[in-house]
Amino acid sequence: MASIELDRVSKRYLDSLYSVKDIDLKIEDGEFVIFLGPSGCGKSTTLRMIAGLESISSGELRIGGRNMTNVSPRDRNIAVVFQSYALYPHMTVFQNLAFGLKMRGVNNTEIQRKVQEAAELLGLVALLDRKPGALSGGQRQRVALGRAIVREPQAFLLDEPLSNLDAQLRAEMRLELGRLHRRLGRTMIHVTHDQVEAMTMGDRICIMRDGRLIQAGPPLEVYANPADTFVARFLATPPMNLIAAHLQSDPGQAMSVKVDSQTRLYVPPRHFAAYQAHVGQPVILGVRAEDIYENRLNPDWQPIKVEVTALEALGAENILTGRLGNVEIAARLDRRFLPKIGDVVELYIDAEPMHLFAPDTGQVIARPAL
Amino acid sequence: MRKKTGLHIGLILACALIILPPLWALRTSFVPESMSYSTELMPSFTLDNYRQLFERNNFLLFYRNSLIVAVCSVLLAMPFATATGYAFARFRTGGATARFVVLATQMLPPVALVLPAFALLRGAGLSNSLTGLIIVYAALNLPFLTWILMGFFEGIPVDLEWAAMTDGTTAWGAFWRVVLPISLPGLAAAAVLGFILAWNEFLFALVLSGPGTATIPVALAALQTSNGIQIGKVSAGVVMAILPLIIGSVFIQRFIVKGLTFGSVK
Repeated sequence: MASIELDRVSKRYLDSLYSVKDIDLKIEDGEFVIFLGPSGCGKSTTLRMIAGLESISSGELRIGGRNMTNVSPRDRNIAVVFQSYALYPHMTVFQNLAFGLKMRGVNNTEIQRKVQEAAELLGLVALLDRKPGALSGGQRQRVALGRAIVREPQAFLLDEPLSNLDAQLRAEMRLELGRLHRRLGRTMIHVTHDQVEAMTMGDRICIMRDGRLIQAGPPLEVYANPADTFVARFLATPPMNLIAAHLQSDPGQAMSVKVDSQTRLYVPPRHFAAYQAHVGQPVILGVRAEDIYENRLNPDWQPIKVEVTALEALGAENILTGRLGNVEIAARLDRRFLPKIGDVVELYIDAEPMHLFAPDTGQVIARPAL
Repeated sequence: MRKKTGLHIGLILACALIILPPLWALRTSFVPESMSYSTELMPSFTLDNYRQLFERNNFLLFYRNSLIVAVCSVLLAMPFATATGYAFARFRTGGATARFVVLATQMLPPVALVLPAFALLRGAGLSNSLTGLIIVYAALNLPFLTWILMGFFEGIPVDLEWAAMTDGTTAWGAFWRVVLPISLPGLAAAAVLGFILAWNEFLFALVLSGPGTATIPVALAALQTSNGIQIGKVSAGVVMAILPLIIGSVFIQRFIVKGLTFGSVK
């Protein structure tokens, strides 16, 4: 059981190139944390630094309060599940599971007992005599998990463990991993670039980009209050609509975001104070696809005219892509709403959850959370 | 259809080009010397060529020499080649320069190396000895074996070693318990290739060995006497020399195929 603390941890190549820079993060004991980001953002490197498989160029790593910056991987008592599973191909499933215990000098009867226990937990009992080459992808995944569990490590590091599975198996394993976490109660770090995994599995997500930690927080909180345009777009499908606009104050103490000469969106009064300082300046308007509706169920929702350019009927809902002035926006609409391509339809925006971002930095302009 | 027939004829010709000389040697080795060049396919059958080769030309000794030199040089070179190949594959040891230098030594003409090698061995009192030949062959094959093994190790996902290290091994333990066992097919293939290279080598053996330490290629060349080539005995010798290579290539085939299908990690 252990908390994991990263204190200005960096990974540097060739003295000046950073693949990870100044990560500050405290992961509580028993917490399930997701590292999310596009490929090459440094999330796997960070994970490997925590595991001790990559050296830490600067900064400090503490596990359970102890400085582990320069401790070898075998002495960190951490288990890693790799994307490739990394099962030892020359050993049977039993030997794969037993390897870590054997290396730690556990006696044979104890090994038997623990391997049996883990095999039962993961439904691997019938496969113990097989070699990895004779297993399916899902079974290998289980063996890789079992190999981690059997050692009862302080923390689990999962490096995109689900990305090689097909969609259905991935959904099952998502739930299973969650159950496993609740059952074992150990600290877990799960690296992924899949936003569904990120939203559903963890207590907290840490979004990384270009080697930096951009935002960390509970999934729904991060979703509702993205720190910048990158997070706003990355955490949803379709991504948040970002529209270049101009913030202006209107007569009668109103405030609006002007997209073009025909389209403007009134800012909800509760955001006035936060946005006051940016009146008269260009901004980026952020509206989520699910905040656009085909019916005006609330009088505060504001109409826009959109020319339909594509419609993806997903069965449960329809994703409409359309032209608003000269920008493309996406809207998540009811499955029964089926306009034709080329139609100009009136949609309604719920402006309450909207965000404004600074055009130069992409940073959100802070407003009170909803 | 006609195109296919043409293709087959071409392939048969190409195969014949390769297989006929050894077949002819096989046939000649069982034919009395006097009828070696006869146009008949099998004018008569005899084992005299083999008998003479072993009884008069002491072929057993050369055979033994060749086996000792080839096997020992491989055994000597393999640990070094394995360690170097692994270091090149996993670490930045020596950078690209070291890698290039290793490969570049293979481009030197052997003639340029044989005299320095002779001088070195004589200085060390190892000329005309199997030990000297073993050391030189190990040194000659080392770059080649290193290069092959480097390629093999590069094909092993580093995740496996990482898994072993988080499972509680040291870096050495990961190499010893995981990488080496997985690499056995590759090691075997490299060893067999090294054996074949040493077995067939002629120039160094000619210069560095003496009458009692000659290897098969040298002994075969010695059958070219002032009375002409003793073609019956040469053929018998060639057949004997090819034998271990055929066995070796069967092994190699099996191991290389195994090596290629190994990558079933994901």
